[in-house]
Amino acid sequence: MVFNPFDYNEANRHRRDSVEDRLREGSPVVGVSFDKGLIILTVRRSQRKVFEIYDRIIYSAIGNQSDVEAIRVGAIDVAHKEGFDRSPDDVTTHRLVSFSLSPPLKRIFGDTFNAQPAVIRAMFGELGKTPEQDVFYVLNYDGEFSQSHGFAVVGGTQEAEDKMSLSLMGVSGKTTFNHALERALQAWAAGSVESRRKSPSGDDEYASEDEDALAKRVLRDELKQGIVEVGVLDRDTNRESKFRLLGTVDLEGLLSSYKQE
Amino acid sequence: MLSNDLTTLLREHNLGGEPAVLPPTVSFGSITSGDIGIHGTTVIAVKFNGGVINVGDRRATANFAIMYDKAEKVLPIDDLTLLAISGSFARALEVVRYLKTQFKYFERSQLQPMSLDGKLSELARVIAAGVPAALQGIGGVLPILSTFDPTINEGRIFFYDGMGARFESTEFGAAGSGSTQIRGVFEYIVKTKGPFHLMSREDALREALFLLDIAADLDAATGGWSKHLPLAKTITADGIADVTKDELQAIVEDIDRLHNR
Repeated sequence: MVFNPFDYNEANRHRRDSVEDRLREGSPVVGVSFDKGLIILTVRRSQRKVFEIYDRIIYSAIGNQSDVEAIRVGAIDVAHKEGFDRSPDDVTTHRLVSFSLSPPLKRIFGDTFNAQPAVIRAMFGELGKTPEQDVFYVLNYDGEFSQSHGFAVVGGTQEAEDKMSLSLMGVSGKTTFNHALERALQAWAAGSVESRRKSPSGDDEYASEDEDALAKRVLRDELKQGIVEVGVLDRDTNRESKFRLLGTVDLEGLLSSYKQE
Repeated sequence: MLSNDLTTLLREHNLGGEPAVLPPTVSFGSITSGDIGIHGTTVIAVKFNGGVINVGDRRATANFAIMYDKAEKVLPIDDLTLLAISGSFARALEVVRYLKTQFKYFERSQLQPMSLDGKLSELARVIAAGVPAALQGIGGVLPILSTFDPTINEGRIFFYDGMGARFESTEFGAAGSGSTQIRGVFEYIVKTKGPFHLMSREDALREALFLLDIAADLDAATGGWSKHLPLAKTITADGIADVTKDELQAIVEDIDRLHNR
């Protein structure tokens, strides 16, 4: 078989398409930084989705369950090894993502002969001393990653992520916890609606409805079966662990208004 | 790799020694060969009706020299575990660092906290691993572990011997060179004033500080509070909290007044 650069690009394109196809259905993940901490919110059906990685780092992802788990375990291993060997202060998401996680993802993705590409789009949130120092990283299945402040989104499609980012405009270090939760949930709904659209032109079953009403309806339907999961990193706590996982019971106050018809 | 053990992780990366990962350290205690039960310190744990109080003096010695008078010997391991340390100060700090990372690593990777029994065995292993070093006079550690057990809604105190054997105490625990001098005082308090676990937080704290004062009087390696206040922490159902300086100051002044100091 003759193998040329064209084949290589073509193979990559196929891999990209097949991975994107499998990511499309993923329940979006929203990260928001607020005055007293940082949250990652998602809505799940069965498996837990938001995880603590290290003292100031949390993680969530969409994609294949075992890939999500492999990145989680890898990140935890690297963080704890480095944190014990050197200092917890030296464990940063920047080092974790760019030096430990991105290179192998890139290698697996580029290895068109031997490896199945990982099906994952992951988000890491790192708590700083002030909201301005909070940072999010989004890591893609091909090893590409991007950094952001204030908020971050992971969704099934580019369109969904754009809608979510738009929905989160204006959140800042002055945002309160409750407000951050509300904005994150709304952004989740916006992303969820968008990734359900069959075609980008809006020519589908959702086409006739007004965006806000649609988001509310999708959220209401989703909350009947889905479980809202929020991972919080608490900036001012005196506890040894800054991480808390909130479930449906803890969020009753926020969710009750969305559950009503 | 799906490891849950920090030592395994470090060993796989060729970090740390065998079998515990803790490096030998220079002794800050007054340990001599064959005499691993004596340590320049007094740390005290007593129960009260809401949990456990730990107090410790602040002196670190090397033979007859006072090296440091702001040592912190009562250290939180996680949200429900306190370690009061005696013996080699440097090694004790390493033990605390190791256990902290180990317990967190287990909880984060396994998605469930390590059981109390698991934590106690881990500590026993670390102590046993230090026996050869302790026999050479460089780095024995004897801790008292205090925890709040949510299953029985009560504080619990565990102490260890030099070989790593674990004992649970019903009322109190003490370690360090001053602890032998005040053993009888504990018994006297329990027999005349009733068990510690029925005392209020304030009463138990007061008795603990009395005990520490006596230890400082009778043991050269235990620091008094003329220069720096002792360190006290409580552990309750709500987790670990510092006893404030003001509260300590008030009790300490009261005790001094009783002694016409």
